[in-house]
Amino acid sequence: MAGADTTLDPVTFEVLKNSFITAVDQMAEQILRTCYSFVIYNRDFSNALNDANGDSVAQGNQDIAVHVGTLHYTCKDVIRFFRDDMRPGDVFAINDPYAGGTHFPDVRLVRPIFVDDEVIGYAQSNGHWSDVGGSVPGSFDVLARDMFREGLRITPVRLFDAGGLKRDVAHLIASNTRDPVSIIGDMQAQAEATNVAARDIIRLVGKYGKDTVLAGMASVQDYVERAVRARLAALPDGTWETADYIDRDPSAGEGMIPIRVKLTIAGDRVIYDFTGSHPCIGSIYNSAFGATFSAVVAGMKTFFPDLPLNSGFYRVIEVIAPEDTIVNARWPIGVTGFLMPFEKIMNSIYEIWSRIMPERAIACAFNLEYLLTGGHDLRSADKPIFMFYDWLPGGWGGRNGRDGCNVTTACFGTGLMSQPVEGQERGNPILTTEYEILTDSAGPGRWRGGAGVRKTSILREAERTVISYICDRERAVVWGINGGLPSMPHGLHLQRAGQDTTEWLGSVFSDVAIGSGDSFSRPTAGGGGYGDPLERDPAAVREDVADDYVSVERAARDYGVVLRVVDRDTCDYAVDTEATEALRAQMRRERLDWIATDPEEVARRFRAGEIDALDAVRRYGVVLDWGTGTLLPRSTEQFRESFHARSVIHWAKPAAE
Amino acid sequence: MARLRVAVDIGGTFTDICILDQTSGLIRIEKTASTPDPIDGVMSGLEKAAVDLSDVVLFSHGTTVATNALITRRLPLTAMVCTQGFRDVIEIRRANKEDLWDVYKDVARPYVPRRHRLTVPERVDAAGQIVTPLDEDAAREVGRVLAKRGVAAVAVCFMNAYMNGANERRMKVILTEMLPGVPVSTSSEVLPEIFEHERFSTTVVNAALSPVVVDYTRRLSDRLHGAGYAGDLLLLHTGGGVMTAAGVADYAGRLAGSGIAAGAIASRHIASQCGFANSIGLDMGGTSCDVSLAYEGQSRVTKDWHIEFGYPIRFPSIEVMTIGAGGGSLAWIDEAGSLRNGPQSAGANPGPACYGRGNTVPTNSDANMVLGRLGGGLAGGSVKLDGALAHEAVRTGVAAHFGLSVEEAADAILRVANANMADAVRLISISRGYDPRDFALVAFGGAGALHGVAIARELSIPVVIVPPNPGITSAMGCLLVDVQHDLAESYLRPAADADPAEIEAAFRRLEHEAAERLAHESVAAADIVMQRTVDMMYQGQWRSLAVPAPSPIGDMDSLIAAFHAQHAREYNFRRDDAPVGLFRLNLKAIGTVPKAELATHPMTGHVPPPMATRRVWFAETGGAETPVYWRPDIGAGATLRGPAIIEQLDSTTVVPPGTVATVDARLNIILRAEG
Repeated sequence: MAGADTTLDPVTFEVLKNSFITAVDQMAEQILRTCYSFVIYNRDFSNALNDANGDSVAQGNQDIAVHVGTLHYTCKDVIRFFRDDMRPGDVFAINDPYAGGTHFPDVRLVRPIFVDDEVIGYAQSNGHWSDVGGSVPGSFDVLARDMFREGLRITPVRLFDAGGLKRDVAHLIASNTRDPVSIIGDMQAQAEATNVAARDIIRLVGKYGKDTVLAGMASVQDYVERAVRARLAALPDGTWETADYIDRDPSAGEGMIPIRVKLTIAGDRVIYDFTGSHPCIGSIYNSAFGATFSAVVAGMKTFFPDLPLNSGFYRVIEVIAPEDTIVNARWPIGVTGFLMPFEKIMNSIYEIWSRIMPERAIACAFNLEYLLTGGHDLRSADKPIFMFYDWLPGGWGGRNGRDGCNVTTACFGTGLMSQPVEGQERGNPILTTEYEILTDSAGPGRWRGGAGVRKTSILREAERTVISYICDRERAVVWGINGGLPSMPHGLHLQRAGQDTTEWLGSVFSDVAIGSGDSFSRPTAGGGGYGDPLERDPAAVREDVADDYVSVERAARDYGVVLRVVDRDTCDYAVDTEATEALRAQMRRERLDWIATDPEEVARRFRAGEIDALDAVRRYGVVLDWGTGTLLPRSTEQFRESFHARSVIHWAKPAAE
Repeated sequence: MARLRVAVDIGGTFTDICILDQTSGLIRIEKTASTPDPIDGVMSGLEKAAVDLSDVVLFSHGTTVATNALITRRLPLTAMVCTQGFRDVIEIRRANKEDLWDVYKDVARPYVPRRHRLTVPERVDAAGQIVTPLDEDAAREVGRVLAKRGVAAVAVCFMNAYMNGANERRMKVILTEMLPGVPVSTSSEVLPEIFEHERFSTTVVNAALSPVVVDYTRRLSDRLHGAGYAGDLLLLHTGGGVMTAAGVADYAGRLAGSGIAAGAIASRHIASQCGFANSIGLDMGGTSCDVSLAYEGQSRVTKDWHIEFGYPIRFPSIEVMTIGAGGGSLAWIDEAGSLRNGPQSAGANPGPACYGRGNTVPTNSDANMVLGRLGGGLAGGSVKLDGALAHEAVRTGVAAHFGLSVEEAADAILRVANANMADAVRLISISRGYDPRDFALVAFGGAGALHGVAIARELSIPVVIVPPNPGITSAMGCLLVDVQHDLAESYLRPAADADPAEIEAAFRRLEHEAAERLAHESVAAADIVMQRTVDMMYQGQWRSLAVPAPSPIGDMDSLIAAFHAQHAREYNFRRDDAPVGLFRLNLKAIGTVPKAELATHPMTGHVPPPMATRRVWFAETGGAETPVYWRPDIGAGATLRGPAIIEQLDSTTVVPPGTVATVDARLNIILRAEG
């Protein structure tokens, strides 16, 4: 039996493999139908079947990306704690990022599956609860430097036993959150989901026998491992490197925070080495090891989309992450914002694999953003607490032969859904005045990035309201590859009631007080461009202008395409071919000078209103404080170095004159 | 004079015509090739079947015209008018992807491109208050631009219009004035429900299909009436009922999945005639398998469906789960050495290896051929099958790799295929709280009866029913339906605050509107049946359950008790102390169409001599000479013990060892385990 498993016949193996996945998918279905947390409902959850050692046998096909590669760690920690102390009916809870979890809001319920007296595996359900306490609503305090402001750390506890929910433990946990009733509801929904999978596994044991099911659990891991190794072995050996950045360390001076990735393929092995990455920083934007491992898995899986995820996949991957760096933080360093390093790692891995598999290349995707607003709703007399948490989609990177996807969920959470405005307005004293695609947000390229959006909302009848914001890439702007251009810097603008001007609050802030009538507006970036924008088909630019993805002005400034308006009513534009050729030739001659312009001069012109932020990053590679226009010299130096490597060196030389 | 009922089901390859003689209860079928203009196929099929349309009292039709228009994007120029600031709701969607990991698999583009989505200043808030009145000058400007562009349909989609549709209605008046003859759909009329993307997406589909469907039904009606048909043209909609041509203009979107529902309806009907109120339909064709479920005589209905991912159509639809498992599904070995089945398919062309048209990868049909379950021909011999090619494909494709005999390999292929279909049934049954042991499996489609018993065994389903004409069962479904409208109204309230009188009044409003629609379709008041359900949830949950509600509504306590019980049945837990919320009031309004009784046959118990024997392989017995019967010769009341093969024009039924087949008075084959 060439290459196949030696203990199970091929039919039993294939049937068990699919049955394990069906069991996990049934958990997902149950969660969606019964959960309370809107974050879970919008698909921030995952489910797994783990074997008796805690290794992952199957994970849901539609699970959120950010949890992959972590569920075996939390299962193993539960086993470590309760090994000889488990009984049928038990369900354990854990949310510990320092034991391989992601962050406190991701609470995992783990149910041992018993056959007689033996635990043959575990069903695990992981969901992002809407609140786990801490200093701000939603449990994302950007300024927390350690976990004590972040929320409740749940090391393994017994939450259910043969008698059902343990009221004392459940009450203790729920009472440390802002929404105890929903939290108890989610505990029951998740516990019942694990029961669905456990019943299914017991059914398989009844049908095939325990030993066959156990062999199946091991075989499906071996199967995935074989598949991954076969793919790797078919690739050339080599080493590839890149770096991406977090915008800043709020506790230190200006300068972006590097995450360095070196990938090595050696035969059928792959090694990701983060040596050289920055030490932990003074915010929640640090990642513990489990989350870093997850980012590696999620990044790599993008290039092997058809391979199932389980511990067989994970066994092939070696991760070297020096302790106490931003990619391997230890207790009690704050890690709730681990998604920021997570997405940097994912995009770095995209970039590296784009070189190894150019047919699947993709430029950088927009950075996730998360708005947390909490206060008291004056629409009813008892002024209940409201929690308006919102996340927006944005643009994904341009690809080899195809534009990037417009307005798509963030790469950390492929599968996460954006929320309906009508639901938000019903639940919160908020009125949204704009939620539209943002013209010119897409990174220009021969294949442009996808477009981002802008959303503007007004606070209505409310009091004692504060707003916090978690985002990044205000400075480490979403980048292009193979000559493509960056997208745009971004952050939140606040307009106080009755004022004409706006305040720039940027991409990271916490606990800013706002009042009725204040309006806040935030965009998401588009994706980075792929390939030289001066080589984009002018007809494609014209179509983008007809749809307002790109403005007439930026068609000329970014793509060198000169358009004539024939009739705006019918979206009719014509390419001025001669003028386009002339403009493109001129841009080819001048753009190497633009990118070498004295940054202080660029900052001055920005402050004088001669150029805008898109010009600053796309033409000049200069990073400013976008509120004041002050130059950030160290960040600019870092940005230009990356821009050069990803874009400038790929541009065709200007034609000889 | 014969009194006929005619149902037509148009598929991609064939147009099936099912003719029921009301007097005798006998069914006759005709199959003809589908044509580029599907109406030509219908007319030529009727001609071929020698149907005199003046004999026809009821003409019912399942059509893929709307589905195909959406899939191929051959849609008339459709525009959207949106609230200022909300031009992109249908492009932003929920921002998720169908394939989470493959960054080269994109979600389809919206049905209306960005340039044809225009906006006007107006705004209603969540409480239904008008925050910004419609800017009528801007509305007229939009009308001018759309007229200049020559749009053929418009969807008006304003924020919170489910709470207050006044601005939408005013916009529609202006557009109707400025764009005479152009259909305008408003979101508050089409689907007055919260959540903008789902409502807008449904409204856009409704608007874009309106010209397509209206044109189609008008042309078809004209030709039918021209040929002597005097009744209404009935069109099967996705919810499992029919609409008349008069209802189609405003609710064209309800035909978006017209073809999907017919098989599920037929399956439910056949099972209930056999005495099974709970049934699972397994409609297996050449490339895919559709699974549906009926519980206590009702088909499961869902509002979560789409033609293309990302663009929900929130009209109620009979729930059908489609998986890539059919006769032509390919068996293959992946890089890590696992035996896989589908979803890739050899389709009808080149088809399975045994068709001899160049495909050499083994398919399910080839495996059935190798095991002797499929004979040497299909469709009464019009397609010849080559057993040697099937054998060779299974040998080289699977047997050699695993070191199995060719028969063992073929058996392995089918076991994997059957397990995949069983998993689909599990997802639609067990994960919804149903126990398959309480159900009968109705196996139909060209390949369903080959696999039915094996799948039933996999799931411990005790009974399998194979209808008399498995290949045209879907067309028969079109004959068995009532006129049906589904109406709903948002009602977001904690159960503790809900006022039964207010709910009763809301239901009365819906019933009044439904009665008007049915009257418009000439349904007599005596034939109208109204069914109420209330969508409820534990407050804080995000999905609701539809709880059947009485008329009049009575007190809230019994409704809440019914909800707790249903939650416990479907999800295995209840929270008696947790507050319950109401979400939506639903009304199913039915205009019953008198059903013709299918003919029953005298129970002769006649078992004809086998027309042949051939070697058929089963895991239990290995290869053994097995009798092959010709189904049309078998009498009602007959009993056959497996192993046996029963062949007919459009299908083959496998009776494995240990299974007993009986034939009932309506000529259904009922299969059960022996003893």
